[in-house]
Amino acid sequence: MIFQRLCAAGAALCFAAALAGCGGNTAETNAANDANSASTTNAASSTSSDNSASTTTEGATSLSGAGATFPAPLYTKWFDSYNQAKNIKIDYQSVGSGAGIKQLTAQTVDFGASDAPLNEKEKAALPSPVLTLPTAAGAVVIAYNLPGAPKNLKMTGDAIAKIYMGTIKTWNDPAIAALNPGAKLPTTNITVAHRSDGSGTSYIFTNFLASASNDWKTKVGASKSPTWPTGIGGKGNDGVASAVKQAPGGIGYVELAYAKQNGLSYASVQNKDGQFVEPTVDATTATAEGALASVQKDVTAPIANSSGAKAYPIAGFTYLMVYQTAKNPAKGAALKEFLKWAMTDGQKQAAALDYAPLPKSIVDLNLKSIDTLK
Amino acid sequence: MNPTLPAPSSAVSDRVRPLPPMSSSLMTKRRVSNNVMKGLCGLATILAIIPLFLVLYYVTIQGIKVMNPAFFTEVQRPAGDPGGGFKHAIVGTLMMVGLASCIGLPVGILGGIYLSEFGQNRFGFIVRFATDVLNGIPSIIIGVFVYSIAVLPVSRATREWNDPITFSAWAGGLALGIMMIPTVMRTTEEIVRLVPQSLREGALALGDTRWHSTLKIVLGAAKGGVITGVLLAIARIAGETAPLLFTAADSLYMNLNPSKQTASLPVRIYLSATSPDDHWNALAWGGAFVLVAMILILSLLARYATRARNV
Repeated sequence: MIFQRLCAAGAALCFAAALAGCGGNTAETNAANDANSASTTNAASSTSSDNSASTTTEGATSLSGAGATFPAPLYTKWFDSYNQAKNIKIDYQSVGSGAGIKQLTAQTVDFGASDAPLNEKEKAALPSPVLTLPTAAGAVVIAYNLPGAPKNLKMTGDAIAKIYMGTIKTWNDPAIAALNPGAKLPTTNITVAHRSDGSGTSYIFTNFLASASNDWKTKVGASKSPTWPTGIGGKGNDGVASAVKQAPGGIGYVELAYAKQNGLSYASVQNKDGQFVEPTVDATTATAEGALASVQKDVTAPIANSSGAKAYPIAGFTYLMVYQTAKNPAKGAALKEFLKWAMTDGQKQAAALDYAPLPKSIVDLNLKSIDTLK
Repeated sequence: MNPTLPAPSSAVSDRVRPLPPMSSSLMTKRRVSNNVMKGLCGLATILAIIPLFLVLYYVTIQGIKVMNPAFFTEVQRPAGDPGGGFKHAIVGTLMMVGLASCIGLPVGILGGIYLSEFGQNRFGFIVRFATDVLNGIPSIIIGVFVYSIAVLPVSRATREWNDPITFSAWAGGLALGIMMIPTVMRTTEEIVRLVPQSLREGALALGDTRWHSTLKIVLGAAKGGVITGVLLAIARIAGETAPLLFTAADSLYMNLNPSKQTASLPVRIYLSATSPDDHWNALAWGGAFVLVAMILILSLLARYATRARNV
């Protein structure tokens, strides 16, 4: 009995010690919080008159976000540069578009990131309205692994849709051969690879297929996780890239940077104007510019398969989502400053990482909406 | 030869009697089958250690390429930039293993003593069964569990704060601590049970109190084994990714405040290995190398602690 009591006392002591060790830090954090909240009011009032950021940064020193893997390399670069310039640390978890929206809804993060705009169901689940901002555009390439075949095979949206529906089964199919006269195409079976997870890359890809092929539009449609008629699934861009790499005759859609890194060949795809275009940063910007009219009406409008002779058709925006009215004023102010920075200085870093910067008119549109954030 | 049962037994009894010609042929047969079986066992052993050595070899070859002081003194640079290291992840892992030990060790060791010394009853049986079940629960479930009891509620409660707490090293440490409990508890129980009864009786006969004899004499004698259990538990949790994904999440910054998102080696390895950047992939190998080295050292320490066990 005595032993048991003493054991309990000992355990209690251990916990007390552990808590005390922690307690020191908590006290410090609280003190820091108090100090911060005192200065927040000043900071907030000065923001309205003065944009020179240095005052606002006193309010919050860290922000957090979660979402798409597609823009993660660009965002990491942005957050690093921004931390060096303004001393605000932004943590980003690249967990995928769907998971990012979930976390935004649960308000465990200050902003969400997704390659697909919110659908009605997701909007309904949100506790308060959010603002969706395109931050950059990216190309999704049709990567293939076909020993002996030329680089940059020509493909049309219709042919890709047929491959992904399983109606074109071999590489020497007349539909592919007709597009690539003179190319030596083997009889190899086509191994189709697609994303197994809910993904913005799939959203961009299926948006393109739906706009290029009626059959696809009616039978499969555009979605983050469509019901694939055929093929094997891979998790993430890297999963699809390695699936293509491992299977001779493999085909898959991956983000431009992943295809480049994995040394995969990728197709030139026919755009709306009938031109075959290689995926590049410039061709992606051209796609965004071709879709300006619809994007200016609604920034979440898809840009895939827009008009323009130089436009690469399989492209899409990636978006950041922030609450229109921030729960935490200090964080809201800091986030607002960051978003302005991303639209101006941040855009200059995009091209080096294979992302297309936004057209000027969309940047202006974004800056206007950022000003409405509270 | 003969399908009925008595026949082989008679053959055996024949062999026992001195019958030179038959015995020698039988001996050859036995020697051959002996050697064949021994060879098969040896082959299986080699097959078992091949993956281990291949993993060690490959991780070392790939990891050593990025081993330089910067790997331990710098944080990861954004993809595309050269240099950088895994300092934040190494520190984060050490911090969370430390926090986990604050929870796992007292509960595990005291619980183990209870089970061994006082747990020969129905309650002890239930606890033992429960810890075995806890040991078998996939680590991802522990992560989700801690997310729902420690991340979401705390996030809701601190939302209005200037620095709200959501994903934190506290939560990561809690998840890892829960994972430590069954390992520490069961090894402590087994080791403490091995301490000879005579030691306890001797201590009591000399007028020692029960609690003092249990803590000083019994636990003292079992010290080496308990330390082994502790080190093995730490080695196990140090490499866990799943419980941290939803709890400590991830960070690219050096962080010593447990109330913030914190990087850890396994999560950083996972995210860097799947990134499109070559240099990040190389750093992931470096992280894997450091993690394997840490676990190897802990395992060696565990062996050493067992060997040093005496009294």
